[in-house]
Amino acid sequence: MQESTFNELADLALRTTGQHIPASKSYLMEARLSNISRRESFATLDDLVHCLKARPNQRFEHEIAAALTSKRTHFFREKDLFEQIIGQALMQRLKQSTTGRLRVWCAGVSTGQEAWSLAMRLREEVGSPLASADIEIVGTDVSTVCIERATQGTYGHFEVQKGLSIHRLMTNFTRENSGDWTIGKDLRDGVTFRRHNLLHPAQDLGAFDLILCANVISDVAKAAQVDILTNLSRQLLPGGFLFASATEQIEGISPTIKPSRDMRGAFERDTAHRSTVAA
Amino acid sequence: MKHCLIVDDSRVVRTVAGRIVKDLSFTVSEAAHGAEALEICRKDMPDAILLDWNMPVMNGLDFLRALRREDRGKEPVVVFCTNENDSEHISEAIRAGANEYIMKPFDAEIVESKFAEVGLV
Repeated sequence: MQESTFNELADLALRTTGQHIPASKSYLMEARLSNISRRESFATLDDLVHCLKARPNQRFEHEIAAALTSKRTHFFREKDLFEQIIGQALMQRLKQSTTGRLRVWCAGVSTGQEAWSLAMRLREEVGSPLASADIEIVGTDVSTVCIERATQGTYGHFEVQKGLSIHRLMTNFTRENSGDWTIGKDLRDGVTFRRHNLLHPAQDLGAFDLILCANVISDVAKAAQVDILTNLSRQLLPGGFLFASATEQIEGISPTIKPSRDMRGAFERDTAHRSTVAA
Repeated sequence: MKHCLIVDDSRVVRTVAGRIVKDLSFTVSEAAHGAEALEICRKDMPDAILLDWNMPVMNGLDFLRALRREDRGKEPVVVFCTNENDSEHISEAIRAGANEYIMKPFDAEIVESKFAEVGLV
């Protein structure tokens, strides 16, 4: 790949999804664009970029930018965080709720494992007040391909064996003749997936009691981090919580959020900052 | 150091699995079928057993049932590791006392993930 090709693609990723791809990771571009390149019969990424410049196509550009985002995920990747979300954060929100209805947004959900893991873990809350709560989980990702896979809920042999116990696999999935495993019907109630670019305002998604945005912020450029956190904060209900991965440092990036006073590791909307909830 | 017994009639699988399990800080012993594994367990009960299903002399399921009948004061964690990947086989293994189940083919990440599920790592 020529240096100019790398620069064009890196700029496209930055502009469209905020993703920062350093030159040392140019091999990621080759890997992540190989399907598109093959489908469109480009011999090299240089040819692909040449075509894009000759015949600009916004839809194709978005598809390329989405393909360049990290898809790395597995079931129960944030196991300890899930325990805190269910045992503390959602329980607290339920106590404050007058309707018994809670909304959770998994932002940047890739192929859906995070949202399905949360749904599985919630299903195990037998006898807890959460068992009778009406909990909606919305997963979003910038990639249409990822959202289609997440909605289908069908995962391969290797995917269902990473992070997922055999008991959870047998309880929540059905085995296809192909050897793949598909999320069972029981788990699908209340779980939906939508395509959404976190750089854009999210009023259409409504307001949430809890937003989980794990392993996203660390992949994007500084300016995009501010935009994403600002957009997320606008969808947080008063008293709602924002969680990132335990390994990500998001404090101080955006003035619209601040560390929660009563939930370790969580963030809440900074009401001192002008920001409106788009319910 | 914890001790893992790898029971599989394929020497290649025993070697590959052995390397993965050693990297997880286990000492490793090997058996080519259930009867040999049972003898090893009677002498020195391991902490974990990675167990194939289809083997000559004694298969994995018969070995597991025999193992669970024996009362030697130490209950090893048993992780099936087999080509039998359908729901019926998995359910049967769990009923017989398997703690986890790896569907072949596997890689190091799967073994580590499954060992973590049962508190071995």
